[in-house]
Parts: sequence; C-alpha cells; structure tokens
Amino acid sequence: MRRWLTVFFVGGSIAYRGLFNWIRPAMYIPTMLGSPLFQLIFFTKLGQFAQAQSRDFYIVGNSVQVCAMSSVYGMTMAVANERWFGTLGPLLASPANRAAVFLGRGMPVLANGLLVSAFTFVAGTLLLGFRPGLAAVPALALVVVVTVVSCTAFGMLLGSIGLRAKDFFFAANLAYFLMLLFCGVNIPLDELPGWMSAVGRCLPLTHGIAAAREVAAGASLLHVWGLVLTELGIAAAYAAAGLALFRVLEHESRRSAVLDAY
Amino acid sequence: MLVIEAVDLRRTYRTTTGVIRRRPLDVEAVRGVSFAVEQGELFGLLGPNGAGKTTTIKMLITLLLPTSGDARVLGMDVVSQARDVRKRIGYVFGGDRGLYERLSARDNLRYFAELYGVSGKAQRTRIDEVLELVGLKGREQERVEGYSRGMRQRLHIARGILHDPEVVFLDEPTIGVDPVGARELRQTIADLIAAGKTVLLTTHYMFEADALCDRIAVIAKGEIVGEGTPAALKAGVAEGRVTEIEVFGVDDGVLSRLRVVDGVRAVTVEERDQKQLLVVQCAADRELTAPLLAQLDGFEVGRVTSREPTLEDAYVALVGAGD
Repeated sequence: MRRWLTVFFVGGSIAYRGLFNWIRPAMYIPTMLGSPLFQLIFFTKLGQFAQAQSRDFYIVGNSVQVCAMSSVYGMTMAVANERWFGTLGPLLASPANRAAVFLGRGMPVLANGLLVSAFTFVAGTLLLGFRPGLAAVPALALVVVVTVVSCTAFGMLLGSIGLRAKDFFFAANLAYFLMLLFCGVNIPLDELPGWMSAVGRCLPLTHGIAAAREVAAGASLLHVWGLVLTELGIAAAYAAAGLALFRVLEHESRRSAVLDAY
Repeated sequence: MLVIEAVDLRRTYRTTTGVIRRRPLDVEAVRGVSFAVEQGELFGLLGPNGAGKTTTIKMLITLLLPTSGDARVLGMDVVSQARDVRKRIGYVFGGDRGLYERLSARDNLRYFAELYGVSGKAQRTRIDEVLELVGLKGREQERVEGYSRGMRQRLHIARGILHDPEVVFLDEPTIGVDPVGARELRQTIADLIAAGKTVLLTTHYMFEADALCDRIAVIAKGEIVGEGTPAALKAGVAEGRVTEIEVFGVDDGVLSRLRVVDGVRAVTVEERDQKQLLVVQCAADRELTAPLLAQLDGFEVGRVTSREPTLEDAYVALVGAGD
C-alpha cells in the first residue's frame, strides 16, 4: 500500500512536471490565469449587456468552468504526452501498479484546477463585484472541489483517448468548448435544446455549477447535496472509464501494437 | 542456467494497404526465432534494419505478445507472468526519445525508481551509484533537454539498471552516438557483464557485436540465419575470398547475373557518390575475377581488388544468403 501511495503522490507529481507543457511561468500565466480571466470578463460583460441572467450567474458559471483549463488540457497532457515524448514504452515495461500511475497523474491537475478556479473567483470579486456571503464560502469551496475532481476525471478519459488518437489537442479543444456550451455555464440548461441539455447532464461541471450557484446565493449544503452527489457519481464514472480505457489500450498495445509509436 | 529462452517465437502484425479500398495485410516481423542465453552471458542479436530485432526484444520484455511460440526470462513466462518478469529485467533502447525532457536526470531516475519500487532510502544511494557508473555524476541536476545524444543514451542505461535487474535488454544503445561516446557506452556495457548481469544486445554494428558479445545470433527477415561465437561466425567465411569491384551504373539485372556465377556466394552493393562498389563473396579455391568482369562487359569498371574476409563479410554473407 505504501508503494502504491508513493507512486500515486510522488510519481504523479514528478510525471506532471515532466509532461505538462505549460508549466513554465511564461506559458502558465497567460494560459492558466490570463485566458480564464478574460473568459470571465467577456461572458460577464456580454451577459450584463444582454441582460439575460444576473451578473453572479456568469461569474459563478465561468469561475467553476475554467478549472477545465487544467482538467482537460493538463490531464490530457499528463497521460497522452507519454506516447508523444516516447516515454510510454519504458512506463509500460515497468511493473508499477497502473491505477496508481494513472490516478496519481490527477492530483497535481486537481490542485492546479482549484488554483485556476480560486483565482477566477477572486478576480470576479475584485473586478466584477461578486460578493457571496462569508458563510457561503466553505460550502462553495467544497462544491468547487467536487466539480474540479469530476472535471479531472473527465480529463483522464480524454487523456486515455489521446494515447490512441493522433490529434489529441483537437479533442481537448473540442471538449473544452463543448463544456462551455453544454454545461449551463452561460446559458441555463432549461433554455438549451432538449438533446443538448441531456448531453450536458452526462458531462462533468453541469451539476457542480448548478450547486455552486445555489450555495453562492445563500442555500445550504444540505439543500444541494443531491447535485453534489450526482457530480461525484459522474466523477467516479469518468475516472473508471479512463482507467479502464488505459488498461484496454495497454492490453491492445501488447496484442496488436496499437500504441507502437514509442 | 538459462536466463533467456525463446522457442519458435513468431510475431505477425496486421496492417492495411490501399487508400480507398483498404485491404488487411499480415506482416511477419519475426518468423520462428529460437535461442537461449546463459547467465552472465552477453548475447548479441545482430541484423539489418527491419530484421525483427526490436520486435523480438519487445516480446521478451513483455511489451508485445508473441503470435505463437514461447519465451521465458529467468524461468518466467513473458505472457502469463509479465509483471514478475518486469520487476527483474531492465530495458534500454537507443535514440533521443524516451526521457522526460523537462526534468533533470536525477528526477528522471527518481521517477523510474518509484515505478520500480525502489524505496526512498535506497533511491538516494542507488541513483548516485548509477550516475557514477554511466559518467553523468555532476550533470544530474541539469534538464535532459540540454543533454547531448551520448549523455541521453547513458541516462537510458542508468534508468535501465536503476533497480539492479538481473537481465538487461539493450536495443541498439549506441545508435547515432559519436565514436567517442559509443566507445564509452561499450565500456559501460562491458562493466554490466563484469558486475554479473546477463545482457541481450541488439545492434547492426558488426564491430560492436564482435567487441562485446560472447555469442551472436544473426537475424534477417525475421529468422535467425546464423548463430555462434564471433570467431565461429568468422570461420564460416574464412575459407572464402572477397573481390571488390568499382563500377558505374550497374542495375539489378547485372547483379542477378553476378549472383549466379559459379563460385559466387553473395553480392552486395555500396553506393559511393557516382560510383558503386560491388562486394563479391567468392569460394576460396576459385579465381573469379575474369568471369565477374565478363558479366560487367559494357559497363565502366574502376579498381578491382581481392582481400581476406572480415567479420562484416560473414554478416553480409549470412544476411545476403536469404535474398
């Protein structure tokens, strides 16, 4: 168990430093902080101009959704870059527990996603006048953590797909904007066409954003517990699917050399 | 004690051909390879590009499943006991890739130490030991992206032996490395044998195999076409002679005619700027210069020399025999 945990935590953190393309400040600041900041301001100002929803609707929605910058891109890089850096062969030739290797990659991504979300919430407070009650902050923080976990699990699945697919950044871009559109970030789910809201309910973020909006408006955690549990269930499903796909691809790579680009 | 055993090992890849109407195509990369390696032996698998060396090694290190046949490493089956095999072997391959570029050499080694279950306490001493062994001590805090090819290759070796494996598989470890770096790497490989490891080395450099290996198997088109000590392989062509002929503009038809001249064992061509060098392996008891030149009638012929065969000629003869 101790070995499993060291691979999970220590291995996950070293691998993240080795595989995350945007780790240098010159890349990290504009990508992980600048881009979410401008997304927040753009959609909040646009929403206020259109007078469609309240200001906080856009601030909460976007501040939670920007965690996907880390979860989708970071996790995709943390898994799929193994193949493109040529390190997949040595990794697969090692006896390390695959679940520890795979899930451990998620920890730094998760921490980064929380940082990006927290930064965007603070920017919303300082620049756009977002003022949740102090009492709401712990519940909001918990909801955000659960949502970032769920988003990271989704990133794990994308990362596994990226092991096999050649243009995985295309898929990551698609996923990011899909979440922006389908998860109720800037348009309420009920106002989307039926099929879009149905897809949105199967994606991470959707239930987390809904819960975050309610607790930011003063609802108790008990009131949104169903949404939080649903988001957790979605996280578990995507993490399991990502790990299962990784294992399937590993087996396939031995059987038919499908990952044989290393 | 046998450490590596391959028995009638085969591997077929399924690929497709055609642009619009894709048709499946089976490519036999390894076709019934069998060999055995004793404990403490340095065994060379020698062959041209695409001969099946890397596919064979990938099956032995559990990265690929054999299509048929059996392979055992340290008595364990590479298919059903893959995880146990992985714990006790090291794998090093040639080339620039396969390292975490943004990490330092020490962090690369730390990561693989975690993957191989080397405890934190043991890591500190073991990483220093392997860095010392491969000559990277003092440069270990630098990022790998700034390393030369030779340094990367030495780091590959350090990674492969970090967990002190009993068997080390080296897949073309000196490919693309400059002569001085390659010589240092060969010394490192010799040190592994001195330390009691069993090594399987693939290479297409004849002199490297000759200098390092206790025994060599020559593989061509997925099959082993010769096996033995370097001396025994050389002896196989020692009674022959080699005639080298400089020519201009010969085609495949001429080569085919040369190959059927009585007493010719093999013919290879080396392209040298505008001219070609024909290397003709001949039987020792025959004087073939005149019949060979007769086949080249009409072509411009330059220098013609005759010499004793080398180990490289033995390799060429073995590989060429299958053509």
